[in-house]
Amino acid sequence: MRRKLRIGLVSPYGWDSPGGVQVHIRDLSKFLIANGHEVSVLAPVDDEDGIEEDFVVSAGKPVAIPYNGAVARVLFGPVAASRVRQWISQSDFDVLHIHEPAIPSLGLLACSIAEGPLVGTFHVAAQKFKVAFAIVPIVEPIVERLRARIAVSEVARETLKIHIETDAVVIPNGIGWDSFQGARPRLEWQLGKTIGFIGRFGEKRKGLSLLIDALPKIIESHPDLKVLIAGPGDPEEILKQVDPRLRTRLTFLGLLSEEEKRQFFKSIDLYVAPNIGGESFGIILAEAMATGVAILASDLSAFKYVLEDGKWGVHFEASNAEDLAVKASTLLSDPARLATLASMSSEGAKRFDWPVVAEKIMDVYDLVSGAGEKVVLASGNRSWNKLIRGRGE
Amino acid sequence: MEWVFALLFALVFLWYLTFTASRLDRLHHRVETSWASLDALLQRRAAIALEIAFIPSLDPAAAVVLTRSAYLAREAEMAERSEAEESLTNAIALIGESEDFHKEYPEISERLEVVTSKIRIAIDLHREAVATTKLQRSRPVVRFFRLAGRAPLPVVHPFEEVPL
Repeated sequence: MRRKLRIGLVSPYGWDSPGGVQVHIRDLSKFLIANGHEVSVLAPVDDEDGIEEDFVVSAGKPVAIPYNGAVARVLFGPVAASRVRQWISQSDFDVLHIHEPAIPSLGLLACSIAEGPLVGTFHVAAQKFKVAFAIVPIVEPIVERLRARIAVSEVARETLKIHIETDAVVIPNGIGWDSFQGARPRLEWQLGKTIGFIGRFGEKRKGLSLLIDALPKIIESHPDLKVLIAGPGDPEEILKQVDPRLRTRLTFLGLLSEEEKRQFFKSIDLYVAPNIGGESFGIILAEAMATGVAILASDLSAFKYVLEDGKWGVHFEASNAEDLAVKASTLLSDPARLATLASMSSEGAKRFDWPVVAEKIMDVYDLVSGAGEKVVLASGNRSWNKLIRGRGE
Repeated sequence: MEWVFALLFALVFLWYLTFTASRLDRLHHRVETSWASLDALLQRRAAIALEIAFIPSLDPAAAVVLTRSAYLAREAEMAERSEAEESLTNAIALIGESEDFHKEYPEISERLEVVTSKIRIAIDLHREAVATTKLQRSRPVVRFFRLAGRAPLPVVHPFEEVPL
């Protein structure tokens, strides 16, 4: 039996804007609460009335900051800093679990303000790190304060090693494995041979254009081929660049609900993840696996980790449309192989099931909080706090 | 008799073309000078941002954003430059929300204020110059006779759309 802990979680990104990190924190919190722990999440929030979870505490409205090629909704500054201070000093946490402590947002703030049993999870994987020489000296001494560092994948761990010269344990992101079982296919998504794609297709790194480049060759051997594309974005932008003869092959489904996503995986013949880079984990692959579908993914290290180097699916050479076309045609011509892949992949996703993943995270919590020490404000900040309060009174 | 009119018309038209060409040249020049002064102001803002980033009581997240943007603001590549300036604008706005900052660092805060209001005007001037030039360049006469020569089409950078 584990000790019941008071756990604080810090989200760097706006709670009400879509994103993998927020989903991870939400699911982890729910799991921890179900296991009898007390949880409080501090996050930037756009619309406080729209928040369903009662364990979320708002630190203020996030601002949009362009960061490494994407726009991040983050929060920092003196006002946010005093909220973080308040939250930490009032909550008496046994463990403070900070997400993305190296991104300039609440995570980095909390990491610099708190002292004691701190855990940090690094989600991002970036090969390029702009003006690292100027940023690393600020970030490094702060990240050092974490008692334990978690990376969500080998790629994220590598990023950490290269840029901040610190190591981490790898604990993958979690999925609710059970909820993906027993999904039923939808007839309208099963007409002819179907390839599925999910993701923000407007982003180049997601690789939809690579899949489209490979299409003519696949169609040669599979004339009834359809491609179902799900995810947020503007289909017009894609369609106007596509050969008119191919346009009828593409169906855009928009953003799917969780339920629809499962039906989607169950309906298609082959799930293709043509991503060309910048992937840290690939939670969508784990979800596809859990549902049970044949998977063809590029050989990015993040994907090789999820598919265990081709054990639970097939890899093709990343950014190589030719290889993608050959592998896809071969797979689609072999229904028996597709069926075997689909039936076994679910097994391979069990290692991402929340009970397994959260168990590992709770092990880390136990390790850092073993002595019963509490999370407190760092000494420098205590005096700062006094200064502010003194002035206020 | 007609050829006199034709000649006269041709002469007038030639004059009109050279007139338009030199007008365009002046406009391009205006775009360049307005950008140069905006650029200089932005560099000054970047320098002040670095100073703020080194304030010990400032939170490190703000310090990272300020430092990063300040360095990227010297970058030659415009897409990145614009991103950096936008980050800088948003970051400075967040820090400016705190009254303590103005109270504790009145000197930096004052300089920042001055430079920001100058940037506001510089952006307006630059945008106006770009808009006028683009409008003139879109005229059929200019396009047909290629009066703009090889001058690149001036652009308003995305960060200029962000309110300061």
